[in-house]
Amino acid sequence: MSAHGQSARTWRTSMWGLLATVVLSHLLAVWAAPHLIMQVLMNGPTARSMNIHNQAAFAARVTAASRDVVMPSPDLLYSVCAYDLSQGPVHISANPGLSTYWSIALYAANSDNFFVINDRQANGQPVDLWLVAPGTSPPASASAAPSRMLVAPSKTGFLLMRLLTSNYAAEKDTLEPARRTLRCTPA
Amino acid sequence: MPSDSTRWRSLAQTLVLYGAALALGVGSAWWVLKKAPWFNNTVQVGAWRANLLAGSPNADLYTRAALALNTLLALDRSETMYFVATQDDSGHALRSRCSYRVEGTPPNARWWSITAYADDMFLFDAPQQRYSLNGSTAQLDAQGHFALTTGATPVPGVHWLPTPGDRGLVLTLRLYNPLPAMQEQPASLAAPRITAQGACP
Repeated sequence: MSAHGQSARTWRTSMWGLLATVVLSHLLAVWAAPHLIMQVLMNGPTARSMNIHNQAAFAARVTAASRDVVMPSPDLLYSVCAYDLSQGPVHISANPGLSTYWSIALYAANSDNFFVINDRQANGQPVDLWLVAPGTSPPASASAAPSRMLVAPSKTGFLLMRLLTSNYAAEKDTLEPARRTLRCTPA
Repeated sequence: MPSDSTRWRSLAQTLVLYGAALALGVGSAWWVLKKAPWFNNTVQVGAWRANLLAGSPNADLYTRAALALNTLLALDRSETMYFVATQDDSGHALRSRCSYRVEGTPPNARWWSITAYADDMFLFDAPQQRYSLNGSTAQLDAQGHFALTTGATPVPGVHWLPTPGDRGLVLTLRLYNPLPAMQEQPASLAAPRITAQGACP
């Protein structure tokens, strides 16, 4: 093969290599973005300072200084827990006893919202959930009514409880005890 | 046989080229997710857009990533619907230094709110913590319409959302527990009108 032919083949190979690098790094970044954001949410400085690992924590009311999660709603009170099923199931319970809107939502490690229950669906009853990892056995108490078992799509994830507040100053004494009924504890 | 300096130069060129390719791949991902997050699975009503897969485990790779960057921890549309406006009804980009009037009828949902965000998707440092108008605080006129204004100064008699500074403005309309018809036909939203007030160079 001539030197010219060798050079052209090397050039083509290099171009394909560069193009593959662009495409693969693009796809990898798109795939990794939600995982990385969730990791920061679950294990970042704020999560550590609030001590949310398998434990409920109660965020301060949303203000302009709230900069941990984009688009925070000033009309909601947030309570959180970063669940970790690597050591076994996690028990989630709450009994807000409010007639205004509240919900408990569960998110997988890739940010998918795989479960939500609100005040209307709870119908005045306490929330009592056992969260288990895929392929693991639930504890015996998970099958006892009114407990409900949920299989999480990932071993780690995030719980977000929302309580509606349209006038926090007037509602504080009702809402704060109500959201502090949230429990998120390992079995 | 190439000299050492030639080999080092060739290696450096290769590293620079692959570094640039890597930066291009990651940069293009960032641009697609941050600057064009509503490019698919969206419905537009007036100036407002909603991603129908927000909060859904059925979201594709790009939608999931865009939502994680722009609407992290969203709920699916049976629970909450999110409509976002970055332009007024004339198609001009919303700016915080300008004043806009937003008016409409309460949407078909159990509860709703309109919140003003800066273009980094966080709240403005608004005086008196005036961040939103919601179904509880909105005053309806005789025709059942609500109204609010945004901008640096209030308009007497109209709910004011201060938007200090000069940067992009994002309005978010949340519908909590939207009625089934709204969930099935998001385009049926009676979109609140967004009208610039006065000149805004």
